[in-house]
Amino acid sequence: MNRQELLQELRERFPNQMIRVFEKSAKRVYVEIKPEAIVRVAEYLFREIGARFNIASGVDGRDHMEILYHFTVEEIDLVISLRVTLPKTKLEINSLTSVFTAARWIEREIHELLGINFIGHPELKRLLLPEDWPQGVYPLRKDYQEWDPNAVRDRGV
Amino acid sequence: MGILENAFLKSLWVFHLATGSCNNCDIEFLDCLTPRHDIERFGMLLTGSIKHADVLLVTGAVNRQCIPRIKRLYEQMPKPRLVVAIGECALSRGIFVHSYNCPMPLDHVIPVDVYIPGCPPKPEAIIAGLVKLIESRKAQTTQGKP
Repeated sequence: MNRQELLQELRERFPNQMIRVFEKSAKRVYVEIKPEAIVRVAEYLFREIGARFNIASGVDGRDHMEILYHFTVEEIDLVISLRVTLPKTKLEINSLTSVFTAARWIEREIHELLGINFIGHPELKRLLLPEDWPQGVYPLRKDYQEWDPNAVRDRGV
Repeated sequence: MGILENAFLKSLWVFHLATGSCNNCDIEFLDCLTPRHDIERFGMLLTGSIKHADVLLVTGAVNRQCIPRIKRLYEQMPKPRLVVAIGECALSRGIFVHSYNCPMPLDHVIPVDVYIPGCPPKPEAIIAGLVKLIESRKAQTTQGKP
């Protein structure tokens, strides 16, 4: 299977879920899909194509949030990034932990840093932030404000 | 200068603490231990346990998870104890000054005796700082004594 065949099969299998395909470079392609379809598309890539799940990344955009799930198909030397956009009023998406356990920690990290709720995650608690971090404060959001009155923000020179 | 102080300043054992630094300061400090710079000629030795250490050497920006751990290490050090901050991150947090996870510089957490600036400081600068520390300590203890 080469790159064009893979993209063609994705289009045929998920005709109503695919929004856009952006071919960034010879080794990189972005596939924008609907949030409802993420589990099925990820399952297809992981189980049937044999793609490797690298990492997911969350982005706080101007009017919506994005999650990019990066997969590598090693046989054809291709990185596929599944892009999902979530409206800021409804920040939730199905968890991929039922497909591969490697999604557990990165979903916990996106949850604590951006406040996105992953439905079906077995233990959605904090990964890296300290215990005394206040509830409901998400540091990588665009509207994050300093909450700690003891923080020192000048260099003292 | 008493015999204890004399022995202390001639055999400073160093405990190296990296509070999430980028490893560049750590590499420069490890360079000090190599035969080229050979910090052991001043009696300094790297030790693996904080309970054997005379000097706590900190590299990296202090983050929220680290603050209670640094305090705990500092409390475990036997007295007399010295603290050396190496690199811009330990001094003023460098580029992480506005980071949500780095609320304060090192000297707001524990008292610091020597600041060695640089990103990273050269091994020569680290050695110069440590020698200055020894000299100033000597001057303090011999003051007012014949």
